[in-house]
Amino acid sequence: MSNGALANDPPPVAGDTTTCRRGERSLPPPDGPHRTLAPMHRLSAPLLLTAAALAACNLPRDPDGTLDRVRGGTMRVGMVIDTPWVTDSSDGAGGIERTIVNDLARELGAKVEWHPGPAAALLDSLHERELDMVIGGFTTQSPWKRQVALTKPYYTDTVMVHGKRTEQPHAVAVAPGENAWHVVVERVLRGKKNEFPALRQARAR
Amino acid sequence: MSIGSAFAFPEEMRELHRRIRRLSWLSIVLLFIAGTLIFLTVGQSQAMKTAWISDILTAVPPMALLVALRYELRPPSKRFPSGYTRAVSVAFLVTASILSIVGLYLLYDSLTKLLRREHPPIGTIELFGNQFWLGWAMLVTLFLSMCVGITLGKLKTPVAKKLQSKALQAEAEMNQAEWMSEGAAILGILLVAFGFWWGDAAAAAFISIEIIRDGWHNVRQVIGDLMDEAPTKLGKKDLEDLPDRVAAVARRLPWVTDAGARLREHGHAVTGEIFIVPRPDSGMDAAALLRATEDAARQIGDVDWRLHGLAVVPVTALESSIPPRVGHDGASR
Repeated sequence: MSNGALANDPPPVAGDTTTCRRGERSLPPPDGPHRTLAPMHRLSAPLLLTAAALAACNLPRDPDGTLDRVRGGTMRVGMVIDTPWVTDSSDGAGGIERTIVNDLARELGAKVEWHPGPAAALLDSLHERELDMVIGGFTTQSPWKRQVALTKPYYTDTVMVHGKRTEQPHAVAVAPGENAWHVVVERVLRGKKNEFPALRQARAR
Repeated sequence: MSIGSAFAFPEEMRELHRRIRRLSWLSIVLLFIAGTLIFLTVGQSQAMKTAWISDILTAVPPMALLVALRYELRPPSKRFPSGYTRAVSVAFLVTASILSIVGLYLLYDSLTKLLRREHPPIGTIELFGNQFWLGWAMLVTLFLSMCVGITLGKLKTPVAKKLQSKALQAEAEMNQAEWMSEGAAILGILLVAFGFWWGDAAAAAFISIEIIRDGWHNVRQVIGDLMDEAPTKLGKKDLEDLPDRVAAVARRLPWVTDAGARLREHGHAVTGEIFIVPRPDSGMDAAALLRATEDAARQIGDVDWRLHGLAVVPVTALESSIPPRVGHDGASR
């Protein structure tokens, strides 16, 4: 890590799943055996190598360092009551989306700081990155989708709206532009993908 | 002699003319595929959104050209006695307006994002059972789109040169300049990967400026066409020497003392008037002069295949200014 690392590299964190060997990032010499190929091909080999090398490193990074702060620290989670996704509970939130927060906290070794409130205020804070995440039964069609970063849908619910079966893809909202954090949240959601139908079934109204 | 005839490409150019059509279709298809690929990975990245719109916009000139190609060879009609060769200018007008307006809008959009310090959220994508950062997929689609642009530019340039087609040349240049747009987007996404949120909107602003620049090139072309600009060299501002060559051929006719040409481009064709001063001692009567004039028109038309619908006008005198002006009774010489 110490040899030739960029000055603004985040410090290594124990338990980090993506290891990065700095040596891999170096480009092949420009005057390599690709010399004789057409210009486009000459470009593509180093480009793909770079992409592969970059992917192996700790990229993407958070502009505000959310993931590094949350790991082993505190996760600030806003909660909007929306049964059965988010319910009121004596220890913060309950409901289906509580299990997402639990899994994230366990994986990152983080404490959870709950911030209950109305959606407008919480998502505003999330946009300013004063919160790390907001749960509240949001769907990907949420009118807030441009202000915050909604994750990929983790579960698609089928409900009756005006007598028509409507699909509602559910997502959680994370701080916009904190892409390393965003990636970790979506990884956890994908890992839990098979649990959600049962969780939803158990809380069917 | 008829007052208007359809413009036709010479035999050896017909194949090239057909190739423009094929290249246009190829451009539209490839650019839409590239645009779709970028669209699939667009996420909430402003640079990707701009690159996507840019790809679709680059397909507008070939579409406009395809329409123009349908019209330009039509024979003149009662309503359009000068023929339809200027349809190509209309294609430039359409392209110029769309590129300029959309480019300005995208620039405004990108700058607002930059000023409001909007951080671009880029999540993950699942492909073949693997989940990885969408940014990496963006880099790949941008690179593919870059290859499309460079390839199209390389295919179009030689055809444009041989056909002296300004429309195709403008397209080729636009395609080739795409590498800068895509390169900027790649740089922007890489900056975001390293945690510099502004890279995205800054790249988008750069791409918008590139689109506006393309629009401006087309605006200039349209203005030149409207102002009956003399023929210019392909892809350059310099004037062609075609009017001089035409005047020189006219001057070499045995019964002519002086000649001057006033030419302008109509799409792929060049048209205009040639003024000739017959020798005072040629001793031609009116009928002979008319026959000689019509012969001269045919002969001058052979100087370059693009010359079409030339009018040869016998006058008593020409001013020796550049361009020559028709003088009064020789008094002004």
